[in-house]
Amino acid sequence: MVVNLWLVFRVLVFPGFTSILFFTMFCDWVERKIEARMQNRVGPAFTGPAGILQPFADVVKLLTKEDIVPAGAKRTVFRFAPILSFSFVVFAFCFLPIDGAAVIPNSSFAGDLIFIMALITIANFFLFLSGWASANPYGEIGATRVLTQFLGYDIPLILLALTPAFIAGSLSISAIAANQYLPFALLAPWAFVLFIITLQAELEKDPFDIPHAESEVVGGLETEFCGGKLAFLRLTRDVQIVFGAALVVELFLGGPYGPVFFGLPQFWYFLWFVLKLLAVVVITEYVTCLFARLRIDQVLSANWKVLLPLSVLSLALTVAVATWIYPLMV
Amino acid sequence: MIKELLSQLFKKPATSKYPFVKAEVPEGFRGKQVYDANLCISCGLCSRDCPAKAIEMVEVDGKRSPLFHLDLCVFCYQCAESCPRNAIKSSEFFELAAINKSDLVLKPEGNAQKGKCEQQ
Amino acid sequence: MKILLETNKNAGIVALTGLDLGKTIGLMYHMYTNGVIVTVRTEVPKKKPKIQTITDLIPGAQFHEREVADLFGVIFEGHPNPARLVLPDDWPDNLYPLRKDAKIDEALAKNETAPSKAEPTPAQNEGDLVNIIIGPQHPALLEPEKFSLKVDGEIVKQVEPRIGYVHRGIEKAAEQRTYLQDVYLVERICGICNSCHAACFVETVEKILGVEVPLRAQYLRTIILELNRLHSHMLLLGHAGLEIGYETLFQYMWRDREPVMDLTELLTGNRVISSAMTVGGVRRDLQETDVPKIKTRMATLNKKMDFYHKLFENEPSLKMRTQNVGVLSKEDALKLCVVGPVARGSGVAIDVRKDEPYEAYGEIPFNMITRDEGDSWARLIVRLDEVNESINIIDYALDHMPSGPFRIKVPRVVTAGEAVNHVEAPRGELFYYVKSQGTAYPERVKVRTPTFANIPAFIKIAEGGNIADVPPSFVSLDPCFSCTDR
Repeated sequence: MVVNLWLVFRVLVFPGFTSILFFTMFCDWVERKIEARMQNRVGPAFTGPAGILQPFADVVKLLTKEDIVPAGAKRTVFRFAPILSFSFVVFAFCFLPIDGAAVIPNSSFAGDLIFIMALITIANFFLFLSGWASANPYGEIGATRVLTQFLGYDIPLILLALTPAFIAGSLSISAIAANQYLPFALLAPWAFVLFIITLQAELEKDPFDIPHAESEVVGGLETEFCGGKLAFLRLTRDVQIVFGAALVVELFLGGPYGPVFFGLPQFWYFLWFVLKLLAVVVITEYVTCLFARLRIDQVLSANWKVLLPLSVLSLALTVAVATWIYPLMV
Repeated sequence: MIKELLSQLFKKPATSKYPFVKAEVPEGFRGKQVYDANLCISCGLCSRDCPAKAIEMVEVDGKRSPLFHLDLCVFCYQCAESCPRNAIKSSEFFELAAINKSDLVLKPEGNAQKGKCEQQ
Repeated sequence: MKILLETNKNAGIVALTGLDLGKTIGLMYHMYTNGVIVTVRTEVPKKKPKIQTITDLIPGAQFHEREVADLFGVIFEGHPNPARLVLPDDWPDNLYPLRKDAKIDEALAKNETAPSKAEPTPAQNEGDLVNIIIGPQHPALLEPEKFSLKVDGEIVKQVEPRIGYVHRGIEKAAEQRTYLQDVYLVERICGICNSCHAACFVETVEKILGVEVPLRAQYLRTIILELNRLHSHMLLLGHAGLEIGYETLFQYMWRDREPVMDLTELLTGNRVISSAMTVGGVRRDLQETDVPKIKTRMATLNKKMDFYHKLFENEPSLKMRTQNVGVLSKEDALKLCVVGPVARGSGVAIDVRKDEPYEAYGEIPFNMITRDEGDSWARLIVRLDEVNESINIIDYALDHMPSGPFRIKVPRVVTAGEAVNHVEAPRGELFYYVKSQGTAYPERVKVRTPTFANIPAFIKIAEGGNIADVPPSFVSLDPCFSCTDR
């Protein structure tokens, strides 16, 4: 029984659901603050110290709003797709070693990298469904754009994720993270840079935030949503961004592992994990500020003509230089 | 742009925390009108020239005086320009939002001028 | 008309003014040729107001004719699309608001009880074409106007604009106010280019009166007009950043626009609506202590604009979204009679400030910026470079500011007569026609705003393009719908 309680605590409180949720909100705040400061603004400032409670306040506000289902919408899909999408991302999160072990201990298995990639794709697919079910032309256009974009960018993303897997000789995330005595970002910088770019597209952030282009498609797939469902859609997006950043940390930046100075190693692992993750968030936000939004055809051709060949090349390059890399790892 | 973005990170934001930090307006700003009953000669020129028809002449203590409907006013200050005795002056007060339209009527008597919005 | 076109291929229509002359309706075709406005007059009987269309000769006259048809009930025979343009669909038939005998109050009272006519037909898909309606409420349009796009996949096949959503009847209202009040009224046609409207109106009235404004007032007007242009152009450039999803550009541009607004506030007493112009001069003099303030801010702004110029020249994602998007060729620009930066972006060198200098522009040296590319990028960069020119103009005007009075007294009653006038507003040529009957009230005020002339160009550049290109190419025209509808 004791073990089970411990498991429940890990899944629900730390480092599981609740922590992920609050950590997501914290990252959202960091993102908004960084973006605001880069654009010479103040950013969230009035809710809590330096506005740190603003994302929380936003979610609470949305949850208290009236929940409307539009007349022409497919009710069941419309209602459950946002929540399902949210749960799939959080579920995928559980396989990442956050404080030295995955959320559910000993749950990692040999192919879990591929497994969580699949989970993320399913989550995206539910996002598409939610837009599709809303019976609104803007929602439908936004939804098709989500679908086109992630179908395209999933391929290079997985190819690029294979690079660290190849170097580490394992498809298990825990093993990949644990094997990085020297971060793979230094060993294979080409794959790291490409992965960040692809991730930017996969997470629909500028310059690839075409599904959210409000000057073209109003709210995209969110157009018809309000209240709690909108809160979940927003949360899904935020958790996805944090998840993407966490994936970069696990695959390229040595996961949660770093020097342990004193006391519990779990504490230090968690601290390293958070710091590395915030660094990735800052980098993606920087790229967001740097560019204008591209057009859907430009994004797609950039994927098929540039990113896909490059990711194949990157994998080939990694294989080619593996002989020189392996000695560095020991 | 690459450099600019990073340098901005360490600079003070350009925006101000407006409702908490008051915004400054330069001298000569066309804010809420201040009407001086002692100077007024009841000629009604302000009312006649007002392009928004926001000034009504009303009887106060046996003297015809202007009543400003600030909800109609466009703050062009033609009234101040038309006034032969300079009885209408500008102020730097611009926070004129009110819940009731009746709060936005400047009555020509002494203290009644103060709208609710001036409370802060 | 034909003779005019034969003598000068580049002649275009500026405006078509209708005028109630009692038994007949006067039509004045204001044509633009070789830098001068030529007015061709004709009359049609009120009982049977029919006239041949000129759209076959000048395609740019389409909107002008539809507007006159709405407001005066003139039927243009052979017009390709004689639908309503500015009046709402449920406006009573046979009620033409700008005719002097129109009983509008009566008709409206009757119409309020009557059920409004059927809503415009909802989006219907015809065959392979999907109907997408942009507006009246849409994030890409900050003001309400409707554009129905027929799209095939992601390609726009046909565009049908419908304007008039913010028609406020200002031309009619101007007839019921004195000249003095009208200055403030026309200023409110457009929030952004307010000084231009006021300046154009007071100049027209001064022309009728035959008064010469003191030189100092002319310089002061020039400074205010250029400040107006500065903040309008910067607003648009920032807005363009928002439309192509470049939020940082938007934030930076608007941040740097703020000092310009503050200067307007310092000079005139308000950030946006300056209310600085009056018949006979300006309403406030420039304080000597303000001059160094203006100069230092202009110098910083000049440096910032260099940064933006480099950004527009080099930033790849920005260029991907705007270059070769919404191309308007020089021939089309001439045919559709577009004005301002839109024309200059297509290599048509027209600028009222150069062609027919008003105020102090004749004495101030500045360059006219033109680009030959004709795409959205060219239109934006024309504005960017014009900001620099405006800064130089303000600097020059401050250095050469003559002393003397800043306004003269003018009579309130304007002598009988009529005049046309045009100025270069930020969005292009702004045209006014004023007719006076010798009273304190004008008989007719006609306003032709730059966006009204530029909307036909939008139809041209959007057709055949991508849906995602609609916002950037649209915003590069710098549309202002309050102007368009009046």
